Order: sequence, then structure tokens, then C-alpha cells
Amino acid sequence: MAEKSAVLLCTCGGQLNLDYEALVDRLGEMELAGHVEVHDLVCQPDGLDVVKRLLAEHGRLVIAACTSQKLKPRVDMALQHDGVTAPLITYVNIREQLAWVHKPSPEATEKALDTVHGAISLSALAEPPSVVCKDLPRHVTIIGAGIAGLECAVNLSRLGYSVALLERSDEVGGHLRRLPVIAPTGRSGPEVLGPRIDAVMSSDRIDVMLGVDVKFVEGEVGSFKVHYTADGSQEDGVIETSAVVLAMGFKEFKPTMMDEYGYGRNPDVITQYELSTMLSEGRLERPSDGGSVKEVVMVQCVGSRSEQFKRDCSKLCCTFAIDNALELLERDPAIRVHIVYMDIRVPFENEAVYRESREKGVDYIRGRVCSVWQSGNNTYLRLYDSLMDQYFQLSPDLVVLSSALLPPDGVEELAETLGYAVEYDGHVKELYGKLRRVETRRRGVFAIGAVTGPQFVSEAITDAQAAALLVHAELQGGRIETVPRGAVLDLDSCVGCSLCAQHCPRGVPLMIEQDGGADETEKIQFKAAIDILNCHACGVCQSLCPSGATELNFLTNEQLWAQTKGALSHAGRDRPVTLCFYCEECAASTIDIAGTLHMEYPASTRLIPVPCAGRVSAIDILRAFEYGAATVMIASCEKNRCHMGGTGNEIAQAQVDVTKEILSAIGWDSRRVEMYRMFSAEPERFRSAIAEMVERAHDLGPTPVHLGTAGQWKEVVS
Amino acid sequence: MVGPVLIVGAGVAGMTAAVELADAGVHTVLVERLSTVGGNALRLYKAFPTDDCFFCFEGNRWRPGIRKCFYRSALTDQPNIDLRVNTTVVDISGTPGSFTVRLRTEPTYVDPKKCILCGLCTTRSEAFKLSSPQCQPQTVSVDPTLLDDEARRVASECPTHAIDLDATPSEDTLVVSDIVIATGYHEFKPQGVQEYGYGEHPNIITQLELAEMLDPTGPSGGVLLRPSDGAPVERVMMVQCVGSRSVDHFPFCSKICCVFALKHANIIAQEHNGIRVDVVYMDIRTYDRHERYYRMARRAGVGFIRGRVSRVVPRDDGRLDVVIYDSLLDQYLQYEVDLFVLSSALEPSEGTAALISQLGLQDRSGFVAPVEDGSVDGVMAGDHVFVCGTALGPAEVPESVTQARAVVSRILQGGV
Ligand SMILES: Cc1cc2nc3c(=O)[nH]c(=O)nc-3n(C[C@H](O)[C@H](O)[C@H](O)COP(=O)(O)OP(=O)(O)OC[C@H]3O[C@@H](n4cnc5c(N)ncnc54)[C@H](O)[C@@H]3O)c2cc1C
Ligand SMILES: Cc1cc2nc3c(=O)[nH]c(=O)nc-3n(C[C@H](O)[C@H](O)[C@H](O)COP(=O)(O)OP(=O)(O)OC[C@H]3O[C@@H](n4cnc5c(N)ncnc54)[C@H](O)[C@@H]3O)c2cc1C
Ligand code: SF4
Ligand code: SF4
Ligand code: SF4
Ligand code: SF4
Repeated sequence: MAEKSAVLLCTCGGQLNLDYEALVDRLGEMELAGHVEVHDLVCQPDGLDVVKRLLAEHGRLVIAACTSQKLKPRVDMALQHDGVTAPLITYVNIREQLAWVHKPSPEATEKALDTVHGAISLSALAEPPSVVCKDLPRHVTIIGAGIAGLECAVNLSRLGYSVALLERSDEVGGHLRRLPVIAPTGRSGPEVLGPRIDAVMSSDRIDVMLGVDVKFVEGEVGSFKVHYTADGSQEDGVIETSAVVLAMGFKEFKPTMMDEYGYGRNPDVITQYELSTMLSEGRLERPSDGGSVKEVVMVQCVGSRSEQFKRDCSKLCCTFAIDNALELLERDPAIRVHIVYMDIRVPFENEAVYRESREKGVDYIRGRVCSVWQSGNNTYLRLYDSLMDQYFQLSPDLVVLSSALLPPDGVEELAETLGYAVEYDGHVKELYGKLRRVETRRRGVFAIGAVTGPQFVSEAITDAQAAALLVHAELQGGRIETVPRGAVLDLDSCVGCSLCAQHCPRGVPLMIEQDGGADETEKIQFKAAIDILNCHACGVCQSLCPSGATELNFLTNEQLWAQTKGALSHAGRDRPVTLCFYCEECAASTIDIAGTLHMEYPASTRLIPVPCAGRVSAIDILRAFEYGAATVMIASCEKNRCHMGGTGNEIAQAQVDVTKEILSAIGWDSRRVEMYRMFSAEPERFRSAIAEMVERAHDLGPTPVHLGTAGQWKEVVS
Repeated sequence: MVGPVLIVGAGVAGMTAAVELADAGVHTVLVERLSTVGGNALRLYKAFPTDDCFFCFEGNRWRPGIRKCFYRSALTDQPNIDLRVNTTVVDISGTPGSFTVRLRTEPTYVDPKKCILCGLCTTRSEAFKLSSPQCQPQTVSVDPTLLDDEARRVASECPTHAIDLDATPSEDTLVVSDIVIATGYHEFKPQGVQEYGYGEHPNIITQLELAEMLDPTGPSGGVLLRPSDGAPVERVMMVQCVGSRSVDHFPFCSKICCVFALKHANIIAQEHNGIRVDVVYMDIRTYDRHERYYRMARRAGVGFIRGRVSRVVPRDDGRLDVVIYDSLLDQYLQYEVDLFVLSSALEPSEGTAALISQLGLQDRSGFVAPVEDGSVDGVMAGDHVFVCGTALGPAEVPESVTQARAVVSRILQGGV
């Protein structure tokens, strides 16, 4: 069913150099344009009143004005003020994508006409959305009861949530229990933990469970089921919970396989954490014979910053080596401490502690340890000093290895059922490194503290506090009421292929076992289920679904095809047109900024927004060729920077690659389609990309569709 | 009752706090000294760890998506956010939970809700310009010193009557429940740090100034030219710890300058053909995954010299002679460079000291100190007073925004 829309054209204060008269005339002739009106200032109060009037009169509206990125929020606000929450408005950018980048010309007018034509075709098929409500239990499960898990539990309980705090060992507190001093506070680990443990233990909202192993997790945000086993019990337990916070901390690397240090063979070679444990228990002696400790060598970057074990720096070990060195001197000022290092890395005010240690006589040797060996009761160590360019030998009582900090065991295993992504170093991968650190790819799953990478205590605490907020924001205090935008699944069409479940960037579709059908042999065992309230609205599942079962409720296949067809109205043999599908995240802004900077490009271009480049399927691209496009480009965010859990644009890339293969197979030139990545700090990326595709459109000439030879193996691939 | 909340400073930290509070339904007043939000980020082009723009912060429930560029963050249209640019805090009185704050707003001359960026005024008079395509609010700014007759004429022709050249400063008094300090940092300008000659020769610049030169939308279009004579740059030398780790200036390590120096070194080595970069350092401090930038730099052929600069002497041909003591070789070395870039310390921004004293807070190397309640609490500075981002000390964006969220979390918990 195709409904007519009103069209409102804005002149931006009379400053847009477009042929409005021609536009009004020719748009008026379009069947789907119910009414056409021009206004000078749509974003100002008068203009917003016109929007309200047209919407009330015509039900659906196309606004051709400046970028929707700026206009839409203002229109939405104005309408919301009148109680209209999900208006049927489609935006067309005739400023940043048109008047500001093209000289006035018949081609520019055609582009405006076509683009509006596409928009009214899309608008014609729009379905009025409705409000959906959902209640979520105010319950959160935290895995790991180190400082991060404890702090998060306390914060969540204060925000009104019940918490299950699961700890694998038989005590809460994690590594901090054995730290004699926490830089830069000067307090011991137990002192820092104390108030938090008290708060957790005295809260009736927090249920602490010790000796618990999480087996697997099912479900999704709002209705996870955490399956676990408890110490001594054979039976599995299940916790029903709305969100999961990962707080499993870290594991210190045990360098037994590094022959040069003799760790594991020589009892006087220990790790920093083993030294911390010794000091926090008030002991200081040679583990081999209980002898007194007079000379200590600390070795930095053991396992870290090495291609073999951990490529990156462990961040904390310089700081805690210095801490432990000072702690040793505190116990016995006569101890000689040497620290063998490559770079000393101590952030901010820890530099003062570093200076203090030098003043107190800690001996810093820039170089590498070559070997450690035992002879008689003594340990010997040979090292190379790169400042002196000399080799030295020492005979310390203790060799303390500042050993790498690694992810805890079990991160990969839990990822299998919880669906978060894992970083190359084995830690939990954050949703987006610059801005979304404590969220993961999977909705409803958060990660805090050292499980995301080595962290200082203060950072782990900040993470925990921030995560409490993000859980609260995700669960919206327990009740979600909204007009959902996202994927809708037609269960009857689902063929159970599970492509959506495998590739959804946010892990939304679940494969649900279907119960008894009439005929066992024809029955599809598993079918997808999508909760639109969890959906990120990228359309990846739609582009992948072989049976068209999942579709975005605001951009169905029919809608996108209708829009594409409308936008290519003028395309043809003598009018080579480049169609650009662009994502409404970094690509949209790159195009906007190019517009704001008035960077010119040819008007033989048509731009169609999609929520994520991953929404565009090979079929959508082929449709564009069918409707007359000469070349097609997809503009997306940078690799790994996709706004949809990082992977939507990789799906787009796969679709483009497949399209290229199809084109080659049917005798077209595969250079007619390309994918480009961009971000707004480099607007030139868009300008040069589209210029390239326009040039290809000219160079490659009419397509087989234009020539009427499609399917006849006419185009020669050069 | 929580709110309204006053946030001082609209860099990435302050903006994040504002949208999170707004999402939670808390009214916020976001005060920014300059005419646009964004703070230092607006001038920094590309950011580690993601190597995309510096110009985004998180979206919010009402603008969904994991991040939004400044220009499209719609801060002026948000419910619950009252953005006041060109505004500073004059004084604060009252009690925690109910502070009375007096704000002073300098005129912007252009109403941000009315300006449509149509381009009429900017094409006719120099007095009007778009400070950055990413500025927020998206509005032209006015340089009052350039106002002439033409400017006045065009002002009266503005299609939305957005311009009022006779605007005067105003003051306002509010009562707020909590205060968030997000006043950020200032890049130390090492004038008078003798060995480096900053301010004495145009080819001696800071990293922030280099970021502006590398920015393709910046004044030089991203091409590296010698400021002195516009000649192409062939050799760049960076020097670390300028002002930092120094008992004469800032005893602390500024924590992120190694990473941003290598970020810039890599951009130059990889994207600017034929330019040689060397980095003079004491320790390279690239923590955790930032080590990647160090590995990349070594692979890209960036030179590393462990030592200290002892002298910089301008030559007649526009180059600089740099004399360095190399501590690995135990030798003095001399280099000829076109651009000498100082990785300068991060210092607290101006006005932070005043806030510290008005609110009776503690300072930590000049930055706002967290309260010491024995529990390593990062973001609480006093009763109902919070701090986040680089106002707390040198920090990168990911840390700054996590702190901002921690602040909001604590405010929603009742400010405890
Ligand atoms: C030698 C040493 C010295 C240090 N000194 C300092 C210092 O001076 N200053 C400073 O700021 N930081 C210091 N740190 C860092 C500090 O230890 C960390 O910041 C802190 O421990 C991080 O807390 P966390 O809760 O993330 O992890 P952890 O302390 O590791 O706690 C994680 C908890 O999760 C549990 N767990 C793990 N897996 C599971 C599972 N699958 N199921 C259930 N539970 C699980 C663990 O048993 C543990 O209790 C030091 C670290 C070391 C090694
Ligand atoms: C050369 C350089 C490169 C960098 N590169 C990176 C990078 O690649 N990645 C990364 O993560 N980080 C990087 N950083 C750090 C990054 O800039 C900061 O982490 C981030 O910008 C901090 O944001 P903020 O909001 O804390 O502070 P700011 O950006 O400083 O914002 C503070 C705001 O408060 C306003 N303000 C200050 N005082 C007052 C007052 N009294 N009243 C009202 N308003 C006030 C200021 O005008 C400003 O707008 C870099 C820093 C430098 C110097
Ligand atoms: S913190 Fe220091 S010891 Fe640890 S890996 Fe980094 S440089 Fe090496
Ligand atoms: S639209 Fe995207 S986020 Fe939503 S279910 Fe489909 S793939 Fe997942
Ligand atoms: S274009 Fe740049 S500023 Fe905008 S969202 Fe993308 S990375 Fe962020
Ligand atoms: S981060 Fe690097 S350059 Fe900056 S002060 Fe610290 S050591 Fe020096």
C-alpha cells in the first residue's frame, strides 16, 4: 500500500541556491507527493509549526532541508512537546549534500528531484509504529569479587538493584588481600577492601556466593540465566538475572618456561605478587633456607613487552616494583635493591615515589638480565647494563620478577555463551575503546577492572562505579517503555539458518528450540527470536537473512528498493549516476562536514542513508544496478570502528565482495561497486571516494542494463 | 532530591556527565567558558586508541548510538540540559546539597538556536566565522574587535534575526544540589624553559600545535610546513617530558604525552612521505595496549634517542641545530631539524585553583584531589562535589569519560 506524503522544502533563510520553482512544479507532478510547500526556516518556531500542521493534515511528511543529524532532534523535540513520539517523517539533505557542494545546474535540480522522489517512495511504505513496554527484574549478577566486583555490588545496591556476587575462590577481595601497600594511597590492600566488604556483607540486597564456578549463561538482557556449580555440590544452580558484570580480574604470569630466570626451580626466584604476599604476612626471608635478605634484584618486564608471551606493557609492574622496593627498605634500610629495567613507567604522581626510591638508594640498572643460576647456597645473576655498555654479575638473596599481568582463566570459555568479544591479548574487549570502555559487544554484559586489561585499584573502582550507572541506564530502572526501532522477525519465514544469530554485532537474535511440529522430518528444529527492545537497529540480520524473515521496521527491503528506484529516476545511458549508500554514523558526518566545508563534487551522485553499512545486501546493490546506477559505493565507518559493535561494516565488506563476484560472474566489471571507510576528521576521504566512483561511471560507460543487454554477457571486463 | 546539577567545563568529560545525567532525568546546567563545547578535543584531530576523530562523545538514549560527533550532539536541543557557553562561575555559597552559584555570561552576539549557518554573514564580514565545523552549538562566532559597518549591516539582514551586536554580559544565580568539576587541562607553554627556546623561534612548537598542523581541515590543510617560511618540513624532532618530571616545573609525569607523541610520529612517518622523525626521551611510557604505538613507530622507522636536549640554535637557512646528550652512547650529538616539537606537560586549566579554594577542596599537584576517605575513591572531591576527566590529573579520553560516568553514578546514589 502506497500512501501519499506531504513535501516540505526549506530554503535555509533564502540562502540555498536551488531552483525551487522547478522543484515545486515537478514534485507536484509526482503521484506520491500529496502536497508540496516551501518554507524559509523549517527549524525555527514558525517552520516547526508548519511541520506540525503538515503532519497532522497528511499523516506522513518528507522534509528536504539541512542534515537530519541536526534538524531531526529539533523536530522531534517540538513534536514530543505536543505528545507526538514517532512521527512518519523522512528527511532529505538538500543543503550539506546538495546546495553546498554543487553549483546551481540542471543536474543539481535533478539530484534534488530524484532524492525527494526516493524519499517519498520510502515514506509511502512506512508503517506507523506503536509503543512497547517491558518490565525487567532489578537483579544483576557480578562474576568475581575482587575490588571491582565488590565496589560495583555496593553501587548497584544503592541504585536499587539486587545483586548476586559470585566468587570462585573461598574469600572475597581478590588480589588486594595480599598487597601490603597500594600506591599511591600508602594504605594496605585489606584496609582499602575493609569498608567495601563491610558494606557488601551488611547489605540485604547483595547475595555473596563463594566457591562458585559459572558454567554457562543463556538468555539475553533482562532475562539471563546464569548456570553455576557451587563447591561440594553436585547440582547446578541457576540465577535469573537482567544483566551480567564481568569482574574476574587478572592472573600473574608464572614464568616457569623462561629458562634464563630459573623460576620454579630456584626457590629464591619469586614473582612480585609472591613478594607482596610474603611482605603482607610480615615475613621476609630466603625461601630456600630461611636466611636473611640483604640484597634483592628486581627484574622488570618479565614476559611483558615481548613477542613471545605478552606483547604489551603490563602497566602496573614498574609502580609496584618500586612500592615493594620501598617496603623492603622500610623493613630493613640496609637491604640493597637493584631494579633492572628497559623503561621505568610510572604515571603522574607515582613519579614522586620513583624519585623518592632513587633518593633512598634503590639502584636502577637499565639493561637486561642474561641468566640466573644457583651455586651452592647462593643465587647468581648476570646482566647487561646498556648505559654503561658492560656486563655485571650480582649475587642476590632474592630475585623478584615483575611478571606480566595476564587475563584470568575462563574468559574465552565464558565468551562462548555470553557472546562478548575477546581482545587479541585475551582480555574482554570493550565495545569501543575511546568512549565505551566498560560495555561489551553483547548487550547487557559489562566488564570492569583488570579483566579488561591491567588496572590500578583506583581505575578498577572508577570502572565499577561507571558500570553501575550503565547497567542502570540499560535496564532503565526496571521498566522500558518506548516506540522501538529495530528488527522484526517473521517467524513463519525463518528457515533456521542462524546467520542472524551468528553475525548480529550485538548478539541479539537467539536460536530457540521449536516444539513439536506435525511432521518431524520437515520440522525446523531451531528458529530465531529477536527482541526488538535489545536491537541496535543496524540491519545486518536483514542483509544476511536468506528468506527475508528479519527486517528493520523503519527500512524494509521494499522500502529501500522503492527509495533506490526513485532516487535513480533520471539515471540512464546518457546520465551515468553514482549511487552511494552511506551509514548514518561516521559516513553521514563525513559527508556533512565535507558539505559544511563546501567541498565540491559532481552532482551525478545520489546518496541514500542506511543505519549501518551492514544493512546493505548484495541484492540491494544489484537492485541499484537494475534501476540504472552506473556505479555503487558504500560509505562506512573505519575498520573496527563500526558503531554497531565494531562488525557491521565488515558484513558490508562481505556483501560488496560477494557483489563483485556476482558481477564478474555475469560479465560486468566488478569495479562498478566499492566500499570506502571514513570519519569526519578527514572529509577529503569522502570527496575523493565519490569522485573516484563518478570517474569510474564515466570510464566504464553504460551498463548492460542501460544497453538492454543485461544477461547477455556483453560487458567486457578489462 | 538530586538536581539540578552544575557541571563546570564542557570538554569530553563534562559533556559525558551532562548527557548521562540528562538520560537519568536529572536537570543539568553545563557551563563552558568558551563559545563551543569540546575543550581540547576540538583541536586534536585524531585520537588514540581508536585512531579516528577526536570529535565524538557518547550518544544518549535520546540520540541512540554508541557515539555522536560534537556537531550532531544536539546539546542545545536536549531536554534536561541547559548549556551555557561563554560562561564562568563567579562565586559559590550555600551548603552541600544546596549550593548557590552565581554565573556570569559574556555575550555571544548570536543566538545559537536561531543561527542556521546559512552563510550570509560569514561571506560578507570577517567578524563572523565558524570556529570549527564540529563546534557545538552549531553557530557562527563573533570577533567583536572586527565589527565594522558591513558587519552591522549584515547583522540586520540575518534571516532569523539571530545576531544582536548590542548584547551585554549577564549574571544569573542558581541553586544546585551537586557540582561537577570538569575544567580539564591546559597544555603547558614552556616559555622560559631555557634549553628548548619555545617562543623564540616559530619552528619550535608544542604537540597540540603540531596536531593543528596535521589536521587536514586545519589552517595548513594537513601539510607540514615550517611556520617560519612555509618551506616543506623534512626532519621533525620531538622531545619528551618538557616541563614534566622536572623539579623546576612539574614533578609529575604527564602520563599520556609519550602516547600522543608517538601517535603523531606515526602519522608523520606513515602518511607524510619522506619526513624523518626522531624522538628524544628518558623513558618511553606507553602503557598496556598503547605499546602498539611504540612498536609501530619502531617499525615505521621513527628514531629514538635516549637522552636530553642541551641546546637548540636557529640557523640561517631556517633550520634548527639541536644538540643532544645521548645517554646510551654517552656522547653529544648534533642534529639539523625543521620542526622541533615539545611534548609539553599538562597543567590544570586556569580557574581550577579558584574553584578549589571556593569549595574548600584539596589539590594534587594543582589538579583537584579526590577526598581521602581511606578507600581510594577516585571521583569524589568533597561533600556533593565531584571531579572527572583531566581536572583530576593527566588522563586520556577513555579514562575521562569513565570517570564522568562514575560521577553520575555517585550523584544518582545520592551524592555519597
Ligand atoms: C604485585 C602487585 C602489586 C600491586 N600493587 C598495586 C598498587 O600499589 N596500586 C594499585 O593501584 N594497584 C596495584 N596492583 C593492582 C591491583 O591488584 C588491581 O588493580 C586489582 O586487583 C584489580 O581488581 P579486580 O577486582 O579487577 O581483580 P582481582 O583482584 O584479580 O579480583 C578478581 C576476583 O575474581 C575472582 N574470579 C576470577 N575468575 C572468576 C570466575 N570465573 N568466577 C568467579 N570468580 C572469579 C578471583 O578469584 C578474584 O577474587 C598490584 C598488583 C600486583 C600483582
Ligand atoms: C597533544 C595532546 C594529544 C592528545 N591526544 C590524545 C589522544 O589521542 N587520545 C586520548 O584519549 N587523549 C588524548 N589527549 C588527552 C585529551 O585531550 C584529554 O583526555 C581530554 O581532552 C580531556 O577532556 P576534559 O573534558 O577532561 O578536559 P578539556 O578538554 O580540557 O575540557 C575542559 C573544558 O572546561 C572548560 N573550562 C575550563 N575551566 C573552566 C572554568 N573555570 N569555567 C568554565 N569552563 C571551564 C574549558 O574551556 C574546556 O572546554 C591528548 C592531549 C594532548 C595535549
Ligand atoms: S609497567 Fe614497567 S615492568 Fe611492567 S611491563 Fe610496563 S615497563 Fe615493563
Ligand atoms: S538489526 Fe542489527 S542489532 Fe538488531 S538484531 Fe539485527 S543484526 Fe542485531
Ligand atoms: S565521524 Fe568521527 S566524530 Fe563522528 S562519530 Fe565518527 S569517529 Fe566520532
Ligand atoms: S608521559 Fe612520557 S613524556 Fe609525558 S611526562 Fe610521562 S614520561 Fe614524560
